[in-house]
Amino acid sequence: MERRDGMRSARRIVATTAVLGMLAGISLSSSALAQDASSSASAEPLTFIIGMTNNVVTFNPLTAIEAPEYEVNGMQYNLLFGFAQDDMSAVPEIAAEIPTKENGGLSEDGLTWTIKIKPDLKWSDGEPLTANDVAYTYNLIIDQNFSAFTSYLPFTDSITAQDDTTLIWRTTKPSIAPLIPPWIYILPEHTWSKFKDKDAIKKFEGFPDQVTSGPFRVTDWNKDEDWTLEVNPNWWGTKPTIDRVIFKKYSNEETMVQDLEQGAIDFAESVPVDLFESLQGKEDQGITANVGGSFSFVQMSFNQCFVQKDCADSTGHPALKDLNVRTAVAMAINKDQLVDRILGGYGTAGSTIVVPTTPFWHWDPADATIPWSIEDANTLLDDNGYVDSNGDGIRNMPGGGEELNFRFIVRTESPDGVKAGKLIAGWLKQIGIGTQTTAVTDAKLIDAWYALDYDLYIWGWGPDPDPDFILSTFTTDQCGSWSDTCFSDPQYDQLYDDQRAATSPDERAAIVKQMQEIIYTQVPEVVLWYDNDLQAYRSDKWTGFQLQPTPNADGEGGYALFQYGTYSYENIKPVTGSGAGSASTTGASAGLWIAILAGIVVVVGAVVLVRRRGSDEDKA
Amino acid sequence: MGTRGYILKKVFQAFLTLLAVIVFNFFLFRILPADPVDILTRGAGAKLDDAEKAELRASYGLDKSLFPGQFMDFMGDTLRGDLGQSIIQRPGEDVTAIFGEFMWPTLLLVGVSTLISTVLGIFMGIYAGWRRNGTFDMFSMGFSLVLYSMPEFWLGMLLILLFSTTLGWFPSSGRASVGGAYTGLAAVADIVNHLFLPALTLTLAYLGEYYLVMRSSLLDVLGEDYITTARAKGVREKWVLRRHAVRNALLPTITLIALSFGFVLGGAITVEVVFSYKGLGGLTYDALQNRDFPLLQGVFLIASATVIGMNLIADLIYGYFDPRVREA
Repeated sequence: MERRDGMRSARRIVATTAVLGMLAGISLSSSALAQDASSSASAEPLTFIIGMTNNVVTFNPLTAIEAPEYEVNGMQYNLLFGFAQDDMSAVPEIAAEIPTKENGGLSEDGLTWTIKIKPDLKWSDGEPLTANDVAYTYNLIIDQNFSAFTSYLPFTDSITAQDDTTLIWRTTKPSIAPLIPPWIYILPEHTWSKFKDKDAIKKFEGFPDQVTSGPFRVTDWNKDEDWTLEVNPNWWGTKPTIDRVIFKKYSNEETMVQDLEQGAIDFAESVPVDLFESLQGKEDQGITANVGGSFSFVQMSFNQCFVQKDCADSTGHPALKDLNVRTAVAMAINKDQLVDRILGGYGTAGSTIVVPTTPFWHWDPADATIPWSIEDANTLLDDNGYVDSNGDGIRNMPGGGEELNFRFIVRTESPDGVKAGKLIAGWLKQIGIGTQTTAVTDAKLIDAWYALDYDLYIWGWGPDPDPDFILSTFTTDQCGSWSDTCFSDPQYDQLYDDQRAATSPDERAAIVKQMQEIIYTQVPEVVLWYDNDLQAYRSDKWTGFQLQPTPNADGEGGYALFQYGTYSYENIKPVTGSGAGSASTTGASAGLWIAILAGIVVVVGAVVLVRRRGSDEDKA
Repeated sequence: MGTRGYILKKVFQAFLTLLAVIVFNFFLFRILPADPVDILTRGAGAKLDDAEKAELRASYGLDKSLFPGQFMDFMGDTLRGDLGQSIIQRPGEDVTAIFGEFMWPTLLLVGVSTLISTVLGIFMGIYAGWRRNGTFDMFSMGFSLVLYSMPEFWLGMLLILLFSTTLGWFPSSGRASVGGAYTGLAAVADIVNHLFLPALTLTLAYLGEYYLVMRSSLLDVLGEDYITTARAKGVREKWVLRRHAVRNALLPTITLIALSFGFVLGGAITVEVVFSYKGLGGLTYDALQNRDFPLLQGVFLIASATVIGMNLIADLIYGYFDPRVREA
């Protein structure tokens, strides 16, 4: 009897102390909450938070590679000429105007550009930004041979600063190069000249001692987690409304989208199709899903190494030399179905190697389009002697030679490419062409591509807004360097040099279109699709996004962020009364955690007490 | 064999295993088909010329012959504690320094989860085994089996949906709020807030294992003759449990605990990825995706060394608690 009573009273003690402990904790927590609220009411910087799955490893403009590195450096630094908001054509950035023959910016012989620089520009440390900095940067690229950038400065004889606001760029051939424009961020000579050589430059991570010129500047970097940019007080352009931009790196897209829905971030970049669809129609819940711009394409390339000097080792199938076979393959591919089934419709069927997002440069095949038709493809192959001579369903070379069996490589790193490979293999079977599809890592594909040991492969490109670079990859001397296929056409090579030497944009555009036509009709590769970048943001909290380029009639095709320029960053502002920009945090406050901890301590203490009493009784 | 002999034998075995791991590690990363320099050049868009590529290769020692050149360099460096430098993830930074930076968050996450799940799992296991077929046993058994068989990433996603998206109680990602929003005590609470969901996921995931091992081991022991003898002697049930059954039944659980502490450094890869929690698991995942071989090699080596070390400790503890093992 006695013992039972003892137990009962012990239980009562536990219960009472636990309740008391919790109460104490809750009162503590409410006071702490009150404290939190009062502290957040003080002037907190207006913060915009962007989530993405890409990481940054450097903010050095000369070693940056990844998309988010370019995004951040685009906010920190400036170009001589930038990209227009509506169509990405060249617009003055550090330069004061677009130089032309009419305004004296280009000499009559086309060999000397005189570029006016805006006066009164400043670096973030208050030093003046002048033509000397531009000349220093371009000469650094050439002298130290930063080969990722040298192609932006072709035929250069000399680049000098005549005075603080005048840059003289002399070339050995007439050249449109300044207006391509060079995607080289202008660097401050007064701090960069301390680097003694290329190695010293490459070691610089671009933070924390960077001197910059753009609207924002990186002020904090938690590697592999997040990085923060704050407004540059010496910025000379449109002053942004937001004070801070924070980029947060996610390891997976699902959590990123959850955080957007929850309001922990304001913007989600590169949302996968399935998640993007789940966000559509949620405007009433404050989320806008934006079908962004389309600057990249995915292509299927044919081994075209037949004539050049390095092609002796090529193992490409002989049938690929025949334009009729390549055309038949192109005909068999239903590009609309690829876009629907693989991109969920968020893309457009591919045509030429210059994206339609840049309509000034893009050539539209229109009537010359190679139509999708299995029947016509079969007829084309029949007419040219590719018949199935042994009845196994696979055609043979004319005269009953080798079978049309192609080795087809897709990339394990691109699930879209793998899916496309399956669909294409099915269509090719319908025109009597066999494929052995292998999915490999990028590294293995690079090996096969260097060794010219393939027939077909699927890969993609994300070119610059200017077509120069992507056009260069089809010139003969790019075989073994950047060329997808080792395509070679002397007329094309000549046109490539011509467009570089063209001195008016219209003249250049005409040549650029002619080059696309050659690639499209010679079919060294089939451009399968142009995919849209999918973005989503909290439209209940933020407004003022400036889409680039101008979206189509459906409101699609414009980047809200990750643009060529800082149009949105300069104009984003909070929706009135939305409470946007304050550090919104979910979860328990410090006080609550103290309460929980106190509760646990009390309960554990009480249990120990009771057990001791219990065991004392036991022993008694 | 005496205690000393037992310890020496175990230490020697561990050393041999470690050596084998180091050698294996070297060849494993050399037989992979990719050349990191090529990955850097094409995939990354850095348009290097051949001279620059050669220079890069030389600077990473990739121009030497595999054996003895690269192998001897590697063994020498490893024994000196130099695990090389990261190529892609953190170009030029020492792998050991990167490891040190990523180790603490993982230690915190996995340490806290292991601690809570062992304590809870052991007590639940004891109680369930003691009251076998009781209501608690039935429920906890079902509960633990479900948790034990559930993939961690899925459990994590479910918890995010419930606690984060629906209830809004806890943040779903990261190690702390971005932008240095807090200082002092509030900053600590912020870290605990962020730790809560990943730690809960791991605790639940580990709990089932400890529970099941403890329960079945207790059941085994309870069937032994000495328990019957104790009961026949009239020892109180509670004392039978505490003094005779639990002590012996704890042995397999101790091994399990030591072993799982060994896997602490291997990181909880899936959980760290689901919660975008910066730690060794996420580091390994990123290094794999980026093909950052020196970094991967270092992480693998340290992770295996920890497992071997903890295994050794488990052996030694086991020997201490159970003299039969030493004698064998």
